[in-house]
Amino acid sequence: MGLFMPEAFLSFKSVQHRHAVPAPRLTRPWAKRPGPGIVGLSLDLYEGAVLGLIGPNGAGKTTLIRMMAGVLPVQEGRVEARFEGDSWTDLSDLRPWVGHMPEQVRWQGRASVAEALTQLGEMRGTSEKRIHRLLGLVGLGSRREEPLDNLSQGMRQRLSIAAALLGSPKVLLLDEPFNGLDPVAAQAFASLIRKLASKGVSVVISSHMVAQLEGLIDRVALIHRGQLLDEGPLGDVEQRLGLHGRYAISGAGKVEPATLADSEDVVSFESDEEGWTLTVNDRQEKVLQRALDADVVLTSWAPVRPNLVEWLCAATGMSAEDVSLEVVSSAMLPMQVAGVDEGE
Amino acid sequence: MNDVQRILRVASRIRRERFSDVRLKIILPILLLFLPGMAWGFSDTNIVLPGGHQPDTAMEVLFYASLGVVFGATMCAVLMAFDGVSKDRASGMLEVRLAQPMPRKHQATALILGHAQSILVPVYALLATSVIVVRFRIGEWPSVEEVLVYAASTGLVVLWYTLFALLASTSAREQGTAIAFGIGVWFFFTFLWALVTTMVAYASGVAVGEANDPAWVALEGMLDLLSPNGVYHHLLETQLPSVERGVEAWQSWGAAMLWTVLPWWALHRRMERLVP
Repeated sequence: MGLFMPEAFLSFKSVQHRHAVPAPRLTRPWAKRPGPGIVGLSLDLYEGAVLGLIGPNGAGKTTLIRMMAGVLPVQEGRVEARFEGDSWTDLSDLRPWVGHMPEQVRWQGRASVAEALTQLGEMRGTSEKRIHRLLGLVGLGSRREEPLDNLSQGMRQRLSIAAALLGSPKVLLLDEPFNGLDPVAAQAFASLIRKLASKGVSVVISSHMVAQLEGLIDRVALIHRGQLLDEGPLGDVEQRLGLHGRYAISGAGKVEPATLADSEDVVSFESDEEGWTLTVNDRQEKVLQRALDADVVLTSWAPVRPNLVEWLCAATGMSAEDVSLEVVSSAMLPMQVAGVDEGE
Repeated sequence: MNDVQRILRVASRIRRERFSDVRLKIILPILLLFLPGMAWGFSDTNIVLPGGHQPDTAMEVLFYASLGVVFGATMCAVLMAFDGVSKDRASGMLEVRLAQPMPRKHQATALILGHAQSILVPVYALLATSVIVVRFRIGEWPSVEEVLVYAASTGLVVLWYTLFALLASTSAREQGTAIAFGIGVWFFFTFLWALVTTMVAYASGVAVGEANDPAWVALEGMLDLLSPNGVYHHLLETQLPSVERGVEAWQSWGAAMLWTVLPWWALHRRMERLVP
């Protein structure tokens, strides 16, 4: 994607944040214990690169993003940066360097778009000139005076990204930014992200939809149960997990999958009255040859991206059913409060 | 912009936001009724209070009119601040604010100042009106010292209830709990404290409600130091030489300091650990 080799400038080394969950005892009914969260995760962020943070609900994506944003404390591990110069230095407060866009911000009230952003800008010491420039950048220049209550979901997302860009951040964290966006708004949003990356901003986008991030991200990090399963350029990770070169081949009429491919190459096969669709792993030439030999009519031939469940199955070695159960149970765990004695 | 300026800016933004809230339009008539209204009533030259007492100085009238502060202004402080944090948490704005590079302690200070200002501005305007009403009705101005003590102690009691409401707001995950906690604390100190005093007196073998019994007066005076409303009245009583309840002025001001510092510190601590 990028034309240059980006350099790592922010490094998380074995960082941890575990949420406190209630563990009441007779003598201490308010007691809490460390629950789920992020455990021993190491990750590098690169200048001008877009990193996709992929994982199911409850995997720890939001926790990791909040840690990176300085909203949740890093309980263990180290954060190093070299934003200025070549030497790595320990970083205790990330907030001056990071712009954070939470998953859903309900901008509401009678204040105007410009007023809402100015209010946040006061907390960072951002000039009004920059605020107006930012509104132009995210496409809200003509809606400066619009009351927040009148904004559509797409406009609210744009305002959220403008808020995240207030301090000229080196790192931009976007938590599920495509949620609630229509395809037009999502496309505009994606091109804005690429534009920011081209200016050297390191962007981290969390999502549970791998396909949504295709064409947008340079690198991918697969998170599951608070741990990093794999990280690297999308193609490399797919190759490591044996998920690369996957094709969906469709045709008319009726056909047996064995006619076209060996069983070990078949990922899935579906057929109905209209025709059939065969998904194969990395053996497209062989399938094409067999289709020609058997006089099978082909209607389409396209590469396909594996979905999140396939990624997780490949990375964990678990079955699809087990992965699904894992997702449900981990997503149901309470993940609310920090500090073991919170609420005491 | 230095830290103090930034805190004041954010506080001023909160105050402006609160001023534009519909709730201020609901609160203003209540304050109008309870502050200048009570001053008007108690400054009636023909008024006879229970026990045949007649207030005859401006400060005495203001002291009785301070019931309006206890019943009205403190409740309005709770109503202004109960969603100071919980509303932002529900909308996702809290996470945006916590991600800004402004220390959380400074954000907490701005929250306290902004909410306290939003209720104190109308309260002080109406207190000034009350003083004028008293002057008009009984023909006497309170002294400068009396006005200063009246204003400072009223400011403090309003600040305390603002702090309680904000503390509740940091703990509550939805608005209902926040308002229930805030109003609950207000109700406890405003209406139920007499019950606590009575129970303690009964347990200590002191005759309950005997206004001429020095043991009862002393016990009630000491127990009032444990209630924000009680401390407020102790502060006002420092300007009423005729009232003697066994509590020295330094004790009243010391208790006032504790009632200010402890919840302020607790709110800072909560903000440091707050999770969106």
